[in-house]
Amino acid sequence: MKKISGLDCIILVDDDKITNFINKKIIKRADIDVAVKVNSSVTEALNYLKGMNTHPINEYPRPGIIFLDINMPGMNGWDFIDEYKKLPNEQKKKIIIAMLTTSINPDDENIANLTPEINMYLQKPLTVEKLENTIDSYFPIA
Amino acid sequence: MSTLKKPFKHNELTFQVMVDAAPNALILVNQEGKIAYVNSYVEKLFQYDRSEVIGQKIEVLIPTRYKGRHTEHLQGFFNNPEARMMGVGRELFALKKDKTEFPVEIGLNPIITVDGNLVLTSIIDITERKKAEERFRLVVESAPSAMILADKKGIIRLVNTQTEKLFKYRREEILGQKIEILIPDEIRGSHPKYRKEFSKNPEVRSMGAGRDLYAVDRDNNRFPVEIGLNPMDTSDGHMVLASIIDITARKKAEEASKNYTKKLEHKNKELEQFTFIASHDLQEPLKSISSLTDILTEDYFDKFDEEGQNSLSFLTESTERMRELITALLDYSRLGQKSQLEEIDCNELIEKIKIDLASSIEETNANIKIAPLPVIWGYKTELRLLFQNLISNAIKFRKKDSDPSITISVQKLDEAWQFKIEDNGIGMDMKFADKIFTIFQQLNPKDKYPGTGIGLSHCKKIMELHDGDIWVNSQLDQGSIFYFTINTNPQKS
Repeated sequence: MKKISGLDCIILVDDDKITNFINKKIIKRADIDVAVKVNSSVTEALNYLKGMNTHPINEYPRPGIIFLDINMPGMNGWDFIDEYKKLPNEQKKKIIIAMLTTSINPDDENIANLTPEINMYLQKPLTVEKLENTIDSYFPIA
Repeated sequence: MSTLKKPFKHNELTFQVMVDAAPNALILVNQEGKIAYVNSYVEKLFQYDRSEVIGQKIEVLIPTRYKGRHTEHLQGFFNNPEARMMGVGRELFALKKDKTEFPVEIGLNPIITVDGNLVLTSIIDITERKKAEERFRLVVESAPSAMILADKKGIIRLVNTQTEKLFKYRREEILGQKIEILIPDEIRGSHPKYRKEFSKNPEVRSMGAGRDLYAVDRDNNRFPVEIGLNPMDTSDGHMVLASIIDITARKKAEEASKNYTKKLEHKNKELEQFTFIASHDLQEPLKSISSLTDILTEDYFDKFDEEGQNSLSFLTESTERMRELITALLDYSRLGQKSQLEEIDCNELIEKIKIDLASSIEETNANIKIAPLPVIWGYKTELRLLFQNLISNAIKFRKKDSDPSITISVQKLDEAWQFKIEDNGIGMDMKFADKIFTIFQQLNPKDKYPGTGIGLSHCKKIMELHDGDIWVNSQLDQGSIFYFTINTNPQKS
């Protein structure tokens, strides 16, 4: 198992448990030594990020990548980005947000490209290749 | 001789009395241009006593500016004496004793006597007619559309400013021209025939019913028009007053609307096609997946490790969800397709729904209060689905710690019934008030509140079918109130 510097944890934000099951499996298959946290709603994910200040790092490891679904009940991926913008910069440092979606609406991709908080825009399903590509782009081996 | 003379005398007298009493001004003028006789109407019209004018030159009755050439005209008449109108095509004026002028029409008749040749001049005061013509001209001029008066031969006799604007001709360029210069080449030839038909049977009507009419302007630009025709009897004979409206803008709008309708029909066909694809092409492989997962589960489940078993049950679950979604989509597209408006007693409808929902009502200990409801016009199956969705939502989204309580009531508005379905459930943030009516959109996690997210979009589509509206008023943890309106008058829906 490879250990990637700066990538201690990946957060999956998706309400669909099957998607989360598959994505966990993909991360495992990529043979990377990383913690995977599943947040099945935007609120849960935001609480996680806010909780990192008050909880020990082994319980709330700092994410290197957040895979974010767009279409979720209640608050969706865009609502997450709006709330994420309000977090203190210190908390967002070195977090890569990759939108991972089934949306075929070109508006979504356009907005994603224009949003500095969003680093990548990926189509589901997540594959080992897409994951490795994300890591290679943002976590160069020192 | 005397026996012969007597009746002649009598006739002469009768003739004199008749001439004198004639309701027209009659003047006899001799070859020297002097007035030999006037009747009493002349006295009245010109305000002279006959003794003042008899023996005078006829020019005393003519405005100064016409006097110069009059002697010449008079001699011309005596050289070629025949009954005719004076000054055809020119406007004639006469002069009263007080020097006021008035427009006249003058008929000339040569009379040959032993004493020499005379001309009997009959003068008609056309002041009133001129005034009426002037009024008519003003009305035509102020009309908001182009108006053209043409005579029996199709000669343009009068146009207004709108005509100048529309056809880009100046008035003097177009007056006296044939009406056909305003008609496109391809119809120009047959137009005189139409004109003759109209004058045979003149009546107020629009031109060329059912045909597309076009006109051409001075620059030879064609444009679509609508033309109304009015026959008129004038002092100059039968005429036609045509009012012409440029309908370019209307035609364009019609064209646009036609195109839009065509596009909509096309889109609708596409949607029907989509329904077919959803019902058949998508269901087919899905059924295969479903059967294959069944086989895997039944025959091989025990051979998988835990992750394999999880994968298999997720596969089954996903397949089932896909089937639900497709069915929901199909139902959505079929809403209102075969329905007919009918009278519906909402009280009966709700009672039936309560029977359908009996087990969940009992299970959750739901209390449903129903105010007396009206009989309305609507689509029965769809309205039943609407009420059922709203009631079952109110039960589904109940609070954990309290029994669902649902109140259904109605309020009569001006032209609609406004229904109100109030619950004491979990409520929602109003920022999602629109999202909940969108297809497959859900606010709450699927594992807590299972479903496809199509119920309220069904409700919305049903209200659209009824030309009504549906909306929500809610607050998180404070219950929700769903409102919908339905017209009291079915003709309006």
